[in-house]
Amino acid sequence: MTLERPSRPGVIALILGLVVTAALTVTALALYDRNETRLLKLSALELSSLLSAAVPTVQTPLVSAAELADATGGNAQKFRAFMAPYVGAGRQFQSASLWRLGDARPSPTAVVGAAPVLASLPQQAQQFFTHAKGSSQLSVTGILGSKTPALGYLYAIPGVGDGYGAYAEGLLPRNRRSRIASGSGFSDLNYALYLGRSRSHAELLLTSLRHFPVSGRQVSEVVPFGDSAFTLVVTPRESLGGAFFHSLPWIIAGVGVLLTLAAALITDRLARRRAHAEQLAVDLDRVATENQRMYTQQRGIAQTLQHALLPDALPALEGLSVSARYVPAASGIDVGGDWYDVVETDDNGVLLLIGDVSGHGLRAATTMASLRHAALAYAVQDSAPATVLAKLSDFVNSGEHDYFATVLCALIDVPRHTVTVASAGHMAPLLIDGDDGRYVEFHVDAPIGVASQSRYREALVTVPPNATLVAFTDGLVERRGEVLDVGLERLREAATGTDLELDELLSRLARELASAEHHDDTAIVGIQWQN
Amino acid sequence: MAELEGEAGENVVVETRADQTGARIVSLSGELDSANADALDASLAPLTQERSAEVIFDLSGLRFMDSAGIAVLLGVAAKVNAVRLRDPSPAVRRVIELTGLSDVLRIES
Repeated sequence: MTLERPSRPGVIALILGLVVTAALTVTALALYDRNETRLLKLSALELSSLLSAAVPTVQTPLVSAAELADATGGNAQKFRAFMAPYVGAGRQFQSASLWRLGDARPSPTAVVGAAPVLASLPQQAQQFFTHAKGSSQLSVTGILGSKTPALGYLYAIPGVGDGYGAYAEGLLPRNRRSRIASGSGFSDLNYALYLGRSRSHAELLLTSLRHFPVSGRQVSEVVPFGDSAFTLVVTPRESLGGAFFHSLPWIIAGVGVLLTLAAALITDRLARRRAHAEQLAVDLDRVATENQRMYTQQRGIAQTLQHALLPDALPALEGLSVSARYVPAASGIDVGGDWYDVVETDDNGVLLLIGDVSGHGLRAATTMASLRHAALAYAVQDSAPATVLAKLSDFVNSGEHDYFATVLCALIDVPRHTVTVASAGHMAPLLIDGDDGRYVEFHVDAPIGVASQSRYREALVTVPPNATLVAFTDGLVERRGEVLDVGLERLREAATGTDLELDELLSRLARELASAEHHDDTAIVGIQWQN
Repeated sequence: MAELEGEAGENVVVETRADQTGARIVSLSGELDSANADALDASLAPLTQERSAEVIFDLSGLRFMDSAGIAVLLGVAAKVNAVRLRDPSPAVRRVIELTGLSDVLRIES
């Protein structure tokens, strides 16, 4: 396969296809992106509402415990009895304790479960309680401690002044890592949960992520929690819409590029074929025009040559009319080998020569020209027809030749009304006497160039007054699929019984007979006695 | 066997064989005219290698032959010992008579 410059339509199809593919891919990517973000938002909302729903499980026991303490004057036993079911491994709290508010150095008055981490951090505890006293909501500590991080919650009855506060702590995993159970509806998400409204790493409570900051697609939701809040950040572990939708844009891109390449190749090939066909049509048209031009030119040359080889003028003798016609074949560029001559021999006569060289084309024409000139030269020496033909035969046979010629030679004596005729394979002339027409009967010898012997027989024919002699070549009488006699009879009928002048008669014969089929050249020579 | 297209789109079919006496028999069928005469002439060239050969043209299947066809037969006749024509059509027979070729192209009865 040769590398050719791609066709213009092929390149256009390629570019168009790539543009469409790119547009479809970008659209699919945007749709996928929007859909993923929407799904993530929905998941984050659901997750945050779950988280909101969990707030009361922390708040309700503490509110109840605070009210109980307030009502019982801080009864430690009742507090412990009430809180015991909420504290311990696998329950809400790690530790629960009752604190008297307003103390300069706050300390728990009753403890359930582990010792509160807050109790070991007096400075933080003081700040927390000072802050919490004015709050009407659940108060949340910051993250307490570092070895065993914990989160503390306090509830105090608002407006009670130095009343009691119910406090509880829950432990956080030391590395803060906690994965969402794989069976849950959120197993395809990663999350990070922060205390407060910021996403500071110090406030990170729980996460399923290993690496921070959170990268990629993410949505955050803030869930109010007491006087503080949780900030939830979720990010997808994998495509939320499914692997197929994740791959769809790339499938579209891949299939699009393949289709584009195929379309471009097909377009390119079609365009090439079309261009080739158009070029071919143009070439054919050019060749046809050129052929037509050459044909016309060659035909013109051939006809000019043919006419140049035929006599310019015919002799004008007293008592004799002479006329001749030459009709080239209707088709074909070939020059025929037909020729004729009528020359004066002496005061009393003319010599008529008519012949046909086998073949066509310039070779036949040049052969004809040499035979014609040779015959004229021999006629000057001796105008006896048999002698002219014999010399012509010797002339042809003396050299290598591959052609034949039929020649009719007739010596006309005008005052004596005689014709001496000899033929080398040429058809006998028609002799017309008014309504009566007949072909001159004599022995026709073989054409020139056929037999090696050069003996020709002459016949002497006496013609009646005002007789007309018509000699012709075979184009006038020969028809495809017809015995020659039919053509000869047609000529005889056309030429007899008319009172036309010789010139008009020949014009009529040329028009009516030579033009019928006309695939061969035709020469006609007519001689008419005027008395 | 050769098939050569003629002027009217008709072909001339050439078939050559030898008879018991050693004469070559060339059967021509179809139509022979100036359009396929040259091609026929070329295809008959091997026949004319032997000057002593006798060639018989079987023309029984030939529907048409013009003067160009006659010229082909004459060309063969000039190069071999003898040429004879078998079963020419009346039209061919008449052309041969009218052109004085009866001695050169002998017609077998």
